[in-house]
Amino acid sequence: MKKEIIKFILNGEQVEVYVDPAKSLLHLLRNDFGLTGSKEGCGQGECGACTVLLDDLAVNSCLIPAGKVSGCSVVTIEALSRDGKPDFVQESFVEKGAVQCGFCSPGMIMSAHALLKQNPRPDAMEVRTAISGNLCRCTGYKQIEEAILLSAEKLNK
Amino acid sequence: MSYLKAESIGQALTLLKESAPESRLIAGGTDLFLQEFPERLIDIGSIEELKWIEEKEGFLEVGAGVTHTIAGGSDLISDKATALAEACLQVGSPQVRNIGTLGGNVMNAAPAADAAVALVALGAVAVLMDKDKNIRRVNVDQLYAGYNCSAVDCSSELLLKFMIESCKSGEGSAFVRFAARRALALPMVNAAVRVKIKNGIISEIYLVAAPVKPAPTRLLKTEELLLGKSACEETWLKAEKSAAGEAEVRGSLLRCSADYRKHLVGILVSRAIQVAALRAIGGKEEG
Repeated sequence: MKKEIIKFILNGEQVEVYVDPAKSLLHLLRNDFGLTGSKEGCGQGECGACTVLLDDLAVNSCLIPAGKVSGCSVVTIEALSRDGKPDFVQESFVEKGAVQCGFCSPGMIMSAHALLKQNPRPDAMEVRTAISGNLCRCTGYKQIEEAILLSAEKLNK
Repeated sequence: MSYLKAESIGQALTLLKESAPESRLIAGGTDLFLQEFPERLIDIGSIEELKWIEEKEGFLEVGAGVTHTIAGGSDLISDKATALAEACLQVGSPQVRNIGTLGGNVMNAAPAADAAVALVALGAVAVLMDKDKNIRRVNVDQLYAGYNCSAVDCSSELLLKFMIESCKSGEGSAFVRFAARRALALPMVNAAVRVKIKNGIISEIYLVAAPVKPAPTRLLKTEELLLGKSACEETWLKAEKSAAGEAEVRGSLLRCSADYRKHLVGILVSRAIQVAALRAIGGKEEG
């Protein structure tokens, strides 16, 4: 498609980019904004490694055409840490040893944020459902579940 | 411009009129990157007018732009069209449910799309509007032209909403599916049922199993067999046998063999009927 100007809010800042609207949001983030925290696993909405928040909801950025985010708010893993310090969910992942190869972690953490925004007191089953679109091939799911439950505890303290 | 985001139904129709036949409507667009990307798109995914859920004069009206997450979490849908809420929560993953819409689930015309299967079993009617604002109403199962091929030309017509007769007391519906994993897996078979029970006797029944035909299709012979039968174990066994016999299925590498699928159709239909019947008579569900 012909390039267009697309305006949206990226990690809290209004941005403007001249881009092919048929480009995926994932490629837009990685290649045009240099935000490489969101990962490309399958590129077809199966693995969730590219999960970002679109208007506060978890979505697969590999399935979103750039044109769709015009006027929306996008939040990526890069927005979480402050002054080089991990946020409470990232911290919980470290504390619980929920990171192995690390490729699924950004997506898992964004799905955790999406869950906690809507449901600050999830039970284990709700956590599992929330990350059911995120594959971890090291299969450290148990620690990830624990890390998200710990994040919820911190949130409610 | 080639990617246009419509803000209203009126604007979408005007854009269609101006740019047809090259333009194509998309809503969530979750399957776009899996296909050849169209040259011109009109994105109707953020039109608020397509996101209503309301009950009017005994009918549940669900906008075509309602996402699976919203439909699955709607108390009104859970209460009046339970099978639809259940089906919506089984579609894809949370990420896909957050963006994919009910309208898209039907217009994409996959043969066993969970929400579409539930809609057909609930007897849903689709309301469509063309470029000149003419309205037509069509049963959802009539919207399919072939495997993964919709009978609706999305360069000239817009799907507005679904109308479903609300389940009243004595009626119940249910959706079940079987897949290789509990999340993010294509169903090998799914089934949905709407049933009315009067004095312990099945007085109305809509029964759908998929993928059997290109469109989610009712198992009419089994429906007929069950009408007038009492809601009991013996009837469920009959339903299982009849549904497995009636469904002309084929095997696929993607899902499972034909024999296995036939077996599953019977089992799932029987399970769905039992759950729907329990809801119809107001019984308690286990776990």
